[in-house]
Amino acid sequence: MEYDAIVVGGGPAGSVTARFAAESGAKVIILERRSEIGIPVLCGEGISQRIDNWGMLEGKRWIASKMDGAKIFSPDGTMVTLSKEMAGNETGYVVYRDIFDQELARRAAKAGADIILNTEVTELIKKNGKITGIKAREFDEKFEINANIIAGADGVESKIGKWAGINTTLKTNDLETCAQYTLTNVDYNSDYCEFYIGKKISPGGYIWIFPKGENTFNVGIGVLASLSDSRLPLKLLNKFINDNPILKKGEPIRFLAGAVPVSKPIETVKDNLLLVGDAARHADPITGGGLTTSLEGGKIAGETIGKSVEKQSFDKETLSSYETRWKEAFGTKLIRDYIVKEIMLDFDDKTLNMLADSLKDYKFEEFSTLSLVKALVIKHPTLLMKLTPLLKLTDKSLKKA
Amino acid sequence: MEKSKIKIDIKNCLACGGCISVCLQDAIYMISSKANLDDKKCIRCGICIKTCPIGAIQESK
Repeated sequence: MEYDAIVVGGGPAGSVTARFAAESGAKVIILERRSEIGIPVLCGEGISQRIDNWGMLEGKRWIASKMDGAKIFSPDGTMVTLSKEMAGNETGYVVYRDIFDQELARRAAKAGADIILNTEVTELIKKNGKITGIKAREFDEKFEINANIIAGADGVESKIGKWAGINTTLKTNDLETCAQYTLTNVDYNSDYCEFYIGKKISPGGYIWIFPKGENTFNVGIGVLASLSDSRLPLKLLNKFINDNPILKKGEPIRFLAGAVPVSKPIETVKDNLLLVGDAARHADPITGGGLTTSLEGGKIAGETIGKSVEKQSFDKETLSSYETRWKEAFGTKLIRDYIVKEIMLDFDDKTLNMLADSLKDYKFEEFSTLSLVKALVIKHPTLLMKLTPLLKLTDKSLKKA
Repeated sequence: MEKSKIKIDIKNCLACGGCISVCLQDAIYMISSKANLDDKKCIRCGICIKTCPIGAIQESK
């Protein structure tokens, strides 16, 4: 088999990459190891409503509910509300990730991409050091596909990058280890995504409660792997649910384990190869959210593949326009949020409580750095010292980083 | 004293991929959507044990 590009992985990043590559004229195939696109769902299922402007998804079947904002609960239960007005376009949807992923795959297929399921890529084929294709296995049948470009969209466990010489190994302080239930028959109404933080709730991470409508909620936990232990995410999540009288009465209809990269972005381009989505570590280091970056990055990757096929030039230099463009689109934000993540890891529960107490009545609609500093200092002057590194994070300092 | 072998209980593995992403030796592979450990490559550092959210990786006794 011969293709212009092979996309390894049929998640959001892979499907969007394949779609835009196919739309720009490339002959593309998606190889998915699982037997159904989108299943099992590995996600909290939240996404920014910014995607409305991108025209990547049709219809509304993939939307479970619309969110009015976020509520963040500090360790002592103090609530900080980030409302629609304040959060602006950063409010979101809770989605059905299985349908969401299948809708993106449908658009890739419509654009002309081929898809094969049940197929594990076992090796890159290299001739004189140059990548020329992949070896794969569909059930027990082994086969090879030749292509000029391999796009690694193979998720957090990515091997494609590693095989091409990119260091994709995550340090344990750059990985969130996750567990998640979908609970139904929960007697609770909410149009807010809720986040619970604190060392006892989830070391280096958080517990989320995302409403999916019809008394159904996606309730999950991410724990920083360096602070975790065998089975700890599951234990802490079960404890949180059992300690909550409303959630406790709900019944689970789905359980999942997950892993989310919260590292700095890595090298994403080699000769004949690029990485997208979680494989490229394109997830936000603070929230672990990776859907918008996968979609944005996938589109850029697909367009780059299209141009590369048009020019019949597949070297690193040609593909580098992908890396330049994703850095412009969201690279600075990922680096900034990585630094914020590192600073916040040093906050103990007492600091988080003081912070929440200072912010609980703050009018985020009237946000300015000065008014924020005032709000913090009036109630808890000692906070200022802890927050100084955050306030120093300007765009200028980030460009140097 | 020699460290114990590490074993992934594949019937409990939910294929999240966390252990694969942190393995320093590239000793864990997804086969049929289950994490499989290659004991020849494994240095028994135990990072994968701590990373598994559901406790499917243990030292074998």
